[in-house]
Amino acid sequence: MNWQRRRRLVAVGYVGVAAVFILAPLLVVAAVAFTSANFVSFPPTGWSLRWINKVLADDNFMRALANSVLLGFSAALFAALLATPAALALARGGFRGAAELESFLLSPLSLPALILAIALLFYLARLGLAGSFAGLLIGHAIIVLPYMLRTVLAVYRGIDPSLEEAALVLGATPRRAFLHVTLPLIRPGIVAGALLAFLVSFDEVAVALLLSSSSSMTLPVAILNHVTHNYDPAVAAISLVKIVLVVAVLGILELWFGLDRIMLTREAR
Amino acid sequence: MAASIARDRWQPSAALAGPASLFLIGFFVGPLLLGVGVSLGVRHTSASATNLGIALYVRILTDIYYLEVMLATLLLALAVTAATLVVGYPLALAVSRARGATRTFLLFLIVAPLLVNVVVRSFGWMVVFGRSGLVNAALGLVGLPMIDILHSWLAVGIALVHVLLPFMVLSIASTLEGIDMTYEEAAATLGARPWRQFLHVVLPMSLHGAVTGCLLVFALCMGSFVTVMMMGDNRTMVLSLLVYQQLTVVSDWPFAAALGMVLLAMVMAIFWLQARIVRALAP
Repeated sequence: MNWQRRRRLVAVGYVGVAAVFILAPLLVVAAVAFTSANFVSFPPTGWSLRWINKVLADDNFMRALANSVLLGFSAALFAALLATPAALALARGGFRGAAELESFLLSPLSLPALILAIALLFYLARLGLAGSFAGLLIGHAIIVLPYMLRTVLAVYRGIDPSLEEAALVLGATPRRAFLHVTLPLIRPGIVAGALLAFLVSFDEVAVALLLSSSSSMTLPVAILNHVTHNYDPAVAAISLVKIVLVVAVLGILELWFGLDRIMLTREAR
Repeated sequence: MAASIARDRWQPSAALAGPASLFLIGFFVGPLLLGVGVSLGVRHTSASATNLGIALYVRILTDIYYLEVMLATLLLALAVTAATLVVGYPLALAVSRARGATRTFLLFLIVAPLLVNVVVRSFGWMVVFGRSGLVNAALGLVGLPMIDILHSWLAVGIALVHVLLPFMVLSIASTLEGIDMTYEEAAATLGARPWRQFLHVVLPMSLHGAVTGCLLVFALCMGSFVTVMMMGDNRTMVLSLLVYQQLTVVSDWPFAAALGMVLLAMVMAIFWLQARIVRALAP
């Protein structure tokens, strides 16, 4: 009993220290966002909303935020349209080479994003798409496709095929079986995958940094540009705005589907 | 009858995977092949760069500066991977053992930073380590002199461990989740102390997740340049940042492509080495 209590104490202590390490830089950013000073210091010397108001009125940051949201939605939608049919084929197909095809479709995951970014930079320049929103969308669609595919696959593989077979036996056409049985069953996977894809795109910086121009610039790139030129609390304020948005999406994800179901599927191929 | 059974089986056509495959062939495989071509100077637009052959690779592999950067990149990635494993394993264990509200809190703790941008997190560390930052404020409180650890390998390493920790924890937790608790109970029933249960039952069964996590963190670390750019300076140069600088500052595309291919080769070499080790250890 004594041993159990000591072990519990050690565990709680460790998690506490880890929590401080994990949250420290995030909380520091949040605190600096509310400073009243002209410069970055921690702890802040006084409190105000001036930097929050400043970035919310800043055209540059707000255009970048709009770009990021639009890009995230488009990339998620595009990836969903490509990955969902692919997941149907891979989960139930059992055709020759299915395993290899699945590895191929998931392969962008294991390539450093920087390599993809430079390769696409050369390629898009030849196609005349350098710096365009379309080029950025292509890059992000490649990056989020594996996340989308993996999430839909995990959900679809957990569904009993006999449900679809029952529909067919009862006389449904494959089309009706898909629309009324398969699609409603995999919808949570598609929605969760799309939300995850949105978040990955919203957060991506390497490809966005190399492929975007000043008009198609995303929020992470705008923040990075700002911090390399001026080290002021505006960076913290816009970062906080971004953190709040992401946490809101994450909260929706947890409420609707449960985070562990989405995040702990890495091995569930 | 056989025909009707065959028809009643649910069999989506393989062609449904066609659009995704074509998209990746056109915009993933194609650009990578072009990248290799550019690094060899093939069909590059500027007249001076036509057909360089392997000249750029020879230049990289014979220049002591590039070799040193490659070594530093490798050592940084190995150190960060090892630190992430040591810090992350107990966290993964805690996640897999927790239930209810504690579990939700721990998952949120691990996943939330993953979705806070790497630029923002690195900026947070800049504030923590900065001249008028958290560390120096704490040192001042207890009367110690200020230190300047920003722009050092240590600062870069700590920030990278923070950035990559979620990937390690999630990989390990995924395998720990899959371990049947009855194995541990069996070991306990047979008289094994908790420490021995862990060492002989849980640890070997979770090695797979640890290896997956290490590879993922290593590959991501080799490709990270934003954190290094923000936390470091000219002395803390890594290969990925060098690629980025060649591209944006120097605008030497063929050389950037060649450096990128060397980076890719280093990542793939580690994957290959890991596969060899796993095969050698397998009974």
